[in-house]
This record gives sequence, C-alpha cells and structure tokens, in this order.
Amino acid sequence: MNEIVKTLLDQAALPASEDEIAAYAAGFAAQRAAVDALYGVPEARYADPALRFRAGARITDWAE
Amino acid sequence: MTDIPLTLTDAAAALRAGAVTSVALTRAAIAAADRLDDTLGAYLSRFDEYALERAAAADAELARGLDRGPLHGIPFGVKDILAMAEGPTTAQSLVLDRAWGAGKDAPVVARLKAAGAVITGKTTTMEFACGMPDVTKPFPVPRNPWNPDTWPGGSSSGTGIGVATGMFLAGLGTDTAGSIRIPAAFCGVTGLMPTFGRVPKSGCVPLGYSLDHVGPLARSARDCATVLEVIAGEHRSDPDCVDAPFTAPEWGGDLAGLRIGVVREGHFPEQGDPATEQAFDAAIAVLARAGASITEVRLPLRQEMITADMITMGCEALAYHRTDLSTRWDDYFLATRAMLAIGAQVSGADYVQAQRVRRAAQDAVGRLFDEVDVILTPTAATGAPTFSSITGPGGSPDIGALFALIHTPYWDTVGNPVLAVPMGFTPAGLPLSMQFAGPAFGEAEILRVADVFQQATGWHLRTPEPELEGVAA
Repeated sequence: MNEIVKTLLDQAALPASEDEIAAYAAGFAAQRAAVDALYGVPEARYADPALRFRAGARITDWAE
Repeated sequence: MTDIPLTLTDAAAALRAGAVTSVALTRAAIAAADRLDDTLGAYLSRFDEYALERAAAADAELARGLDRGPLHGIPFGVKDILAMAEGPTTAQSLVLDRAWGAGKDAPVVARLKAAGAVITGKTTTMEFACGMPDVTKPFPVPRNPWNPDTWPGGSSSGTGIGVATGMFLAGLGTDTAGSIRIPAAFCGVTGLMPTFGRVPKSGCVPLGYSLDHVGPLARSARDCATVLEVIAGEHRSDPDCVDAPFTAPEWGGDLAGLRIGVVREGHFPEQGDPATEQAFDAAIAVLARAGASITEVRLPLRQEMITADMITMGCEALAYHRTDLSTRWDDYFLATRAMLAIGAQVSGADYVQAQRVRRAAQDAVGRLFDEVDVILTPTAATGAPTFSSITGPGGSPDIGALFALIHTPYWDTVGNPVLAVPMGFTPAGLPLSMQFAGPAFGEAEILRVADVFQQATGWHLRTPEPELEGVAA
C-alpha cells in the first residue's frame, strides 16, 4: 500500500517523508473503501453533481 | 467595579440603559485576555488600542443618539482566516502570503464594523482551518478553558476560548467539517453554522469552496441571532451567496406543535462518554415538557456524507495549496499535510461522485424535513479530549480517532443550518453539547427552539475558571 500512496503523492508533487507515507498508507484501504461505496448509492445513479457553473460569470474583488 | 453582563444581548441592553459603557466592556475584555491568553492561546493578534478607540467612539455615538444596532460597542473576536485591515491575516500558518488581504476587510468584517462592533483581535485557528495544533511551529497552542490539558476544539479555537472566558462577547468562526460547532461544544458556548450561502465567505482564506460557512460563536442563541442579522445577506464577490437576509424570530413562547426528530444511530459510539447520552436524554425531556413532539429519525446517507466531506475538502483544499505544498512542505503543520494529502489519494471522478451523492443526500434531508421541523443530535460523543488522546504515533494527529467522536461533518456537506448548544457536563466537568439542525434557511426556527431550551436550563451561562498553573507543555 505504501507504493500506491507514494505514487499518488509523487504525482501531486507532495514531498511527504517515508514516515508520513506509511501513516497515510495505514488508512488508505479503509479510505478507499469508503470512497468506492459512494458509487453504490442508488439515489445518486442519475443525480447531477452539486457543482456550479454560470455562463458569463466574472471574478469580483471582495474588497472593492 | 462595573458589573459586566455575560451575554451580548444583556450587554447591548445595559449599554442603552446607561448601566455600562463600551469602554468598560472593552477594558474587561482586555483584562480577561491579559490574565488568561498566555495560557489559553486565544489570540494571534490583539488590537487593544484600536478597540479602546472604537469603544470610546461607540460610547460617544450612543450618547448623541446614533445607535448602530445591538452590536454597537460590543467586544468581538474575528478568526484569523478572515481579512481585517488592522492586522495581517496569517491563517496560523507560515505559508500564507502576508500580502493576501492586507489592509482590507472581508465583507463580514466590514459589516461588523459598520454595525459598531469593537473588534478586539484576530483569534487562533488550526492552520488554514484544518489539521491540529503543532508545537514545533511558532504559534500559540489553543487550550480549553475548562481544562487546559484538553483540546478546545477547532478550527475556530480562539473564538470559542474567547467567548467562554469573556475575552469578547461574540466572535466569528468558520465551519467546513465542524469548525464552529466543535469549539462551541468543547468550550461550552453556542455556535451557529448558517445555511451555506446565507453569509458571504469571500475575504476568508478558503478551505473547501463548496463547504465553507462563516458564522458566529457567542454565549446564547439570541446572541448568535443578533450577529447573524448583521453578517447575512448577498455579496457580489461570493457566487454562492444568495439574497437571503436574516431576521431574528420572536423570542419566548413554547414548543407546542413542534416536531423534533432525534438521531441516535451512530452518535453514541463505544468510545464515547456515557454522560453524553444521559445529558442528551435530559435535554430531550426539557424540549418535550416545552410541548415538542419527539420522534426518532435516521440521517439519510450518513456515512456517505462524512466521506463526501473528506473528499470534497481534501480536493478543494489541495487545489488551493498544491503549489505551496510542493515547495514548502515542512512549513505546513504535520496534521495539515495529512489532511491536504487526502486530495491526492482520490480521483477527479471520485470528487464528482461525491458531489452527486451530496445532491442525493440534500434531497433526502429535504424530504426528512417534511416530516420533522428540527433534527437534534449530540454535537460530539464526549467532552473535550485530552491532547494526548488524539495524538498518534510519532506525534502525528490521530484524525480517525478524533472524527469517530464528532458528529458535525454531515451537515457541512448538505448545507443546512445547525446550532450547537451546551446541554450539560461530564463528571470531569467538561461541557457537553447538542446540535439543532433545520431546513435550508431555517435558522430562525432552530434559534427559537434553542432559546426555549436555554431559557429553561441555563447550561449556556456556566463559565470556566481556568487553572493557570501546571499546564502540560
């Protein structure tokens, strides 16, 4: 599992130590199972994601 | 010596009755910080001189009949991930560019200032509003005023500590997985996560763009309502913020006709404190005596929403932090790195699937609110844990152990308003808390219900007497 986690972190350019990789890897299988379970939710089979996109939107400075 | 009211609501009334001045309130707040902050770590920046100037101005304005509303002249804390012109925003991190937000007020801070609030300083957080304290970094370790060897909760740690100890009468926090409600619970105060989109979150260092909520911590439900009236309402800089200003409910009355759905499933784990369920049952009995009908309900897709919160926060936060993480990894706190690295361990499809399941859960929760008016759960399964109990091997945080005890992330993913309220104490004298959830934009009703409970009990008026000696390093 360490190698999988190490590869994923390398891909994201995250320079975690070996100890950190081992710690993340210890929880990876359970985390992966929880994520995979999301694909088994029948109510979400035809649901649109809760994402936003508005045509013509502009970035507005919050301090203006 | 002037008697200092405990609640914002009482202080506002006392100011208008001439029983106290804003300067006296502010001096008392500064005195509390002078006495306690070295031990408890509530502040990252204090604005004593500025606050006294604003307090004097508030007194002068009130004396000549200019009343800006109930926050006018009230000492107030702001979590240090919200920009404020008077000081740098650090997010309690070595990494955040100090030029970010410099000299500017976040929209919510600007609204507080316009309402006459006396902002006394910027309060501690976990780094970037996630992770855990890290003693190797040059920032205060926030400690619980009820027992400084225990965690005050986070990430809005300093705001919870400050309200509990009178360093200010109310403050702002932010909530992405529970960061308003957890410190409210462990510090024994009241904390409101408003509906997603009720309050603008621009000018706040982001953690999870689709999860972040800005809201108040204060002594009571009435105090939180007063703050929400000021900070709510759309702002053109936040595309998620909607035109939904807030008006506080009529206070008083009973709960006749109110339907409360009580959640037990998954909320009383073996590792929890049995006192939590006893206090929860006692609180339900109070609500039933006030006229509410009680039924037990299940939270739809409960475990899935906890997972969705983790994925969504991890991915959205990693997008913001990845460049800095790749070059300044060691400058981040150990726990922050662990939380942000979650985003690298899932795929883009996983992220989108989490948003699809969020949509399904939103729909299911909406239908549940056709059957009940308010949902009640414990906020956490215990009182505040000791620092040692949530630290894993090598000093890294045991995030799994911590989140097994906390029942807040579900509500961030569905976006409903939730109010955390003190409901009793453990045998060791640590506060216990429950949370009232309502339908989207249903803050007024959950605040009214919580107020009925608070008027009948008084748990929210208990104050800690921190032990200042012998705190573990």
